[in-house]
Amino acid sequence: MLAAIRPDSWNLPLFVHVLGAMILFGATATVAIAGFAARSRGAHAELLARVALKTFLFAIIPSWIAMRVGAGWIEGKEFPNDEPGWLGVGFAVSEGGALLLIALGILGWVSVRRHGIGRAAAAVPILAGIYVVALAIAWWAMSAKPG
Amino acid sequence: MNKYDWLLFLHITGAFLLVGGGVVAGALNLAALRRDRPSEILVLFGLTRIAVAAIIAGSLLAFVFGLWLVNEVGYGYGDGWIVAAIVLLIAGNAIGGFAGSRDARTAKFAEELVAQGDAPSAELQARVRDPITLICNYGSGLILVALLAIMIWKPGA
Repeated sequence: MLAAIRPDSWNLPLFVHVLGAMILFGATATVAIAGFAARSRGAHAELLARVALKTFLFAIIPSWIAMRVGAGWIEGKEFPNDEPGWLGVGFAVSEGGALLLIALGILGWVSVRRHGIGRAAAAVPILAGIYVVALAIAWWAMSAKPG
Repeated sequence: MNKYDWLLFLHITGAFLLVGGGVVAGALNLAALRRDRPSEILVLFGLTRIAVAAIIAGSLLAFVFGLWLVNEVGYGYGDGWIVAAIVLLIAGNAIGGFAGSRDARTAKFAEELVAQGDAPSAELQARVRDPITLICNYGSGLILVALLAIMIWKPGA
């Protein structure tokens, strides 16, 4: 019962964090789906590469910012002095994931420049897929709070 | 991990699949709005089937493990915020499903146009941009955001 109760002042930062994370998950999955689909739909590879890049620019970047701002906001309220270990999993996925997302954005741009074909186009869905799995590990750590 | 942790994890997994699937469907739908060729619209609408599978799986997971959590934590099934959440989940799925069925008919029409030479069609454009379908699609997305807000604030709990 206690695990389900939290102060009202934590609700808004938690909402921003969770909504950002959910949109980030969906947007990254969109990039993975479009990228993998392009492999078997060569005639539409350029279209799908553009969809992936626009999704990166207009959904992944803003939702990552919302997720990260919300995370820092609620961390300051919930753990002002001492951080539990499971919180480190979340930060590893958000900070480490930022580097992966930067690479994803660059490769997505190169992929569009090359009409959705080539090595960059092949790498985009793989990187996106890795980040989708990383996000799943993060939401496991955030909800199960291991340790 | 105790029982509560597992139930919460599976409930949240359902919520991520539900909202994530909605985002995938929304992104592909927005992309389709800007295309003219039937084959392009068909590819984008075809990929939304993956999103629909995620939405259905996510709805079931969130619902089943959400009800289980209500019992585990000791809330009442008649509590206002829980009733509101269930109503919103059903309404969101019903409205989204209605829009999805209209999109499926549009995809079938696009498939017919592809077979006839893949020339742009004003009727296909009108169907893709049908305001009722768009309102239902994006309205169901807003319902999911409201549902998340209720889950976090738990008004009246």
